[in-house]
Amino acid sequence: MNSLTYNILQLTVMILVAPLINGIIRKVKAFTQKRKGAPLLQMYFDLFKLIKKNTVVSETSSWIFKAAPYVVITTALGAGLMVPSVTLVAPSGFMGDIILLVYLLALGRFFMMLAGLDTGSTFGGMGSSREAMISALMEPSILITLFTAGLAAGTTSIGGIMTKVKEMPAPLTQPVFIMFFLATLIIIIAETSRIPVDDPSTHLELTMVHEAMILEYSGRHLAMMELGASVKQLVFITLLVNICLPLDQLITISGIGAIVLSLLLYLVKVSAAAVLIAIIEVNTVKFRFFSVPNLAALSFILAFIGFLEYFVLWR
Amino acid sequence: MGFLLWLIPVISVPVFGIVKNRKVLHAVSLIVSAAMLPIVGFATLDVLNGGVLEYDGLGGMFYLDPLSVIILDIVLIIGFFAAIFSVSYIEEELKHGKIAEGKVNLYYMLMYIFMFTMVLALSVRNMGVMWIAIEATTLASAFLVGFYNDKQAIEATWKYVIICSVGIAIAMLGIIFLHMSSSGSISGSQLLNWTALYGNADKLNGPVLRLAFIFILIGFGTKAGLAPMHTWLPDAHSQAPSPISALLSGVLLNSAMYAIIRTVSIVNRNQGGSLFTGRILIAAGMLSIITAAIFILTQKDYKRLLAYSSIEHMGIIAVAIGLFTPAAVFGALFHMINHSFTKSMLFLSSGSVLQKYGTREISRIKGLLKALPVTGTVFFLGLFAIAGTPPFSVFASEFNILAAIFEGRNYLLGSVLAVLLAVIFAGIASVLFRIFWRTSGESGVHGASGVHGVPEVAGVPGVHGVSDVRGESGVSADLPDAGEGSVKPGEVNIPGAVIIVVLLAVTLVTGFFMPAGLRELLENARQIIIGG
Amino acid sequence: MDNYNQVLSVLILLTSFMLMANKRIKSYIGTFRLQSALIALTAGIMGIRAAMAEGSIDVLVVSIIIIALKVIYIPNLLHKTFSGVEYKVEKDFFLNIPLLILICCGLVVFSYFSVSRVAGGSDGIMNAEVVNSISLVLIGLFFMISRRKAIGQIVGFLVIENGIFITAMFSTNGMPFIVDIGVFIDIITAVLIMGIIVFKINEKFDSIDINKLKNLRG
Repeated sequence: MNSLTYNILQLTVMILVAPLINGIIRKVKAFTQKRKGAPLLQMYFDLFKLIKKNTVVSETSSWIFKAAPYVVITTALGAGLMVPSVTLVAPSGFMGDIILLVYLLALGRFFMMLAGLDTGSTFGGMGSSREAMISALMEPSILITLFTAGLAAGTTSIGGIMTKVKEMPAPLTQPVFIMFFLATLIIIIAETSRIPVDDPSTHLELTMVHEAMILEYSGRHLAMMELGASVKQLVFITLLVNICLPLDQLITISGIGAIVLSLLLYLVKVSAAAVLIAIIEVNTVKFRFFSVPNLAALSFILAFIGFLEYFVLWR
Repeated sequence: MGFLLWLIPVISVPVFGIVKNRKVLHAVSLIVSAAMLPIVGFATLDVLNGGVLEYDGLGGMFYLDPLSVIILDIVLIIGFFAAIFSVSYIEEELKHGKIAEGKVNLYYMLMYIFMFTMVLALSVRNMGVMWIAIEATTLASAFLVGFYNDKQAIEATWKYVIICSVGIAIAMLGIIFLHMSSSGSISGSQLLNWTALYGNADKLNGPVLRLAFIFILIGFGTKAGLAPMHTWLPDAHSQAPSPISALLSGVLLNSAMYAIIRTVSIVNRNQGGSLFTGRILIAAGMLSIITAAIFILTQKDYKRLLAYSSIEHMGIIAVAIGLFTPAAVFGALFHMINHSFTKSMLFLSSGSVLQKYGTREISRIKGLLKALPVTGTVFFLGLFAIAGTPPFSVFASEFNILAAIFEGRNYLLGSVLAVLLAVIFAGIASVLFRIFWRTSGESGVHGASGVHGVPEVAGVPGVHGVSDVRGESGVSADLPDAGEGSVKPGEVNIPGAVIIVVLLAVTLVTGFFMPAGLRELLENARQIIIGG
Repeated sequence: MDNYNQVLSVLILLTSFMLMANKRIKSYIGTFRLQSALIALTAGIMGIRAAMAEGSIDVLVVSIIIIALKVIYIPNLLHKTFSGVEYKVEKDFFLNIPLLILICCGLVVFSYFSVSRVAGGSDGIMNAEVVNSISLVLIGLFFMISRRKAIGQIVGFLVIENGIFITAMFSTNGMPFIVDIGVFIDIITAVLIMGIIVFKINEKFDSIDINKLKNLRG
């Protein structure tokens, strides 16, 4: 498979699956609250509707406000290209690397924060400042988590890590990957504005972080922002499942059938991860904002212990 | 026969729990502690003749060699003296209502559990069991330290239990590493047996053994009162009832030091020299001596002064063990004996002083020689003895150790040690002057100021003056003749006074003359430690 | 699963971090219970293996004792002590939690380097489990330093004991049986005595804040 088809496939998977994850999480949450909840595909409908609508742009805002959604969606999709959902067909050529991934996402986030500040509304500024703090806290732990996985696999390429992991017997029984799993779970929760850190469904002024930044957006721009956020979420989930739970090596057939099978497996894994995240979200209460450093420290420690275990065990 | 050493105290404990009559309690205590003496005497003779005393029963647990028998003798002799002293001491405390009637049972029960655990620690072959026994000494003596149940005593107990338990836990880690270092070379029922470890010392895993030594030194060093870990010691020794202080200081510290010595001999044999253990032990010992010197110079409480002096002497012993030359080790063992006798004598006499004056503050003790003619004299001479003045035995052993240091050409260490000993002597001497050279007519430094109408014998200030010293335990109100504000001359504890005079005589005699049996025992013990 | 003890040792280490991050005395006790349960599990697996390989049930017995003692009895005792002392929920530590956790992290690094330095690291005896267990001991010590309430100190002491026990398990498959039993008796007595002293401290000082124990100085 050449890299063009691969990239097209990967992009399609990312764009198509990402909203589904949000749908699953919402559905599980609704289920635990004894509600029926919105349909599984609600986010697709929302996105379509938003794309059709007009965009309203504040007169006081600058070009940054208009550019931000494009940057966010581009960086998110760029990051999406680097985390192969199907590891059977390792894409040739450029495969992306941990540091690039982290900083692409950081770039998108940077523009999002700028846009939040740009409109001059109080909420936007508040959301941006909080986002800046959370990201500053989580950055070290993201890096060390990914480096741990990279060290254990002996490469910094994400595709390379995922291929390497397939050769290991059950990564989740290795201390390193247990730590990686737990740390990544915390990172996902913090990075994708999930409950202990932020509440994705709230528009309460005092608590919202992510929602506050995109409060001024409408129409097409909002759709891009939402999609960008959910692709970013999927990027992290893909990292989690494909590193900790590689199942592709079990597929014995080859050809198109293998790829389809692998995609199905991927969907199952991702959905399971979504359910897990939803359960965590249901079972926790939102932290005070100043307790977030504790969470960051916890994920840092998890990653760091994993890092250390690597040195002790596999030196 | 040797098992009787374990059996007698174990049997006596329930007896102390059942008996209600106080006179019977005292009698049982005296009988038990006296009965142990001939047994240990025979054991000592056996060891002198046969080298070791061991039995096949109980998996060969029981084991006495010259090293352990020396310390066992100290334990039981001082235990006997403390038991005699306790009789009048407890009666006196009861008379003044400082302790409740029912607590006498508890006192004797805990005291004999304490004695038993120390005997056990000294007479087992297995290092693990030795650890258990030493940990048990902490637990048995915890409530003895907190026996008066006032604020200070509770505080001292808490510090004692927490610091010592943690310290001992770390020693356990050391024992585990000791066990680990022997994996492969020792197996089956021999695991952790001292004789097996010592016999196969050259086969043990050296690096792991070094790690084990560090942990064991920290752990048992806590219990022995070596410097950075000593903080519990002055509190516990000053708050405990005086006979217990004598046991803690004269006996317990030695038991902990014994565990260190056992480990050192294994490690040195494995490493083929004392370079590794020596540096650490000498550093810890010197630090202890320095710490003790600083606190002795500024001390206001005579029981704490004695406690710090124990830290100093443990430091001296550690330095001597660290040197590991035959003369130094001989000196260290001899010093252990001398320090035990001298220090328990001092703690026992301080008990009488405390009962007479009701205060631990040095500045409030006046006219001691008049108030307590015998105890005062012994206390006076004893302070000289513990400071290392000839003709007492502490001087003899300190001199031995210093001579060994200079003999080994450690001039710097020797001179620093000598200077520190001089500083400590100065500190103790100043206390002596404060206590004895201020006649009863003089007013105290700050004691008299708060007292209305101090009579000519200003021994004890009035009720208000003392109340802060012993907390709210109502001590001051029960002081002898506190109402008249004077201390009547006369001994409080006649048998106790006899005991301390005997102890003084012992320390004086051993200063000049060492019995042949003792010398042989010490030589044998030295050979066990150093080998060859 | 051959590396079960690596995984368990890491999880046990993790519980000590959890303990460090706990704010309330009740959660200390819960975390301690969890840690002891994991240790009992480790000992249980080792015991079953030893029983199958050599027919000795020593380790298995030890693991049952741990369940009875450290998972059930001691935590309940601590709960009783805790509810028996007058004590309002207040801050129990003087550094903030992220800092405490980072210091613990440093302790793990320290134990790793010191153990591998002293014991030669790669000679096969000192492995990851031992490093983790020694870290547990150090974290227990640090926990005692970082908490002000007496019960926190007892929990710290118990964590140290846990660490030592697990060191023994991982390094040498357990101590001689009599030593293990004696250690348990000592621990239970120690905890009982500490509990009684906590009551007494509470009685005399109207608090179990050990920073109030400042009468004896010099």
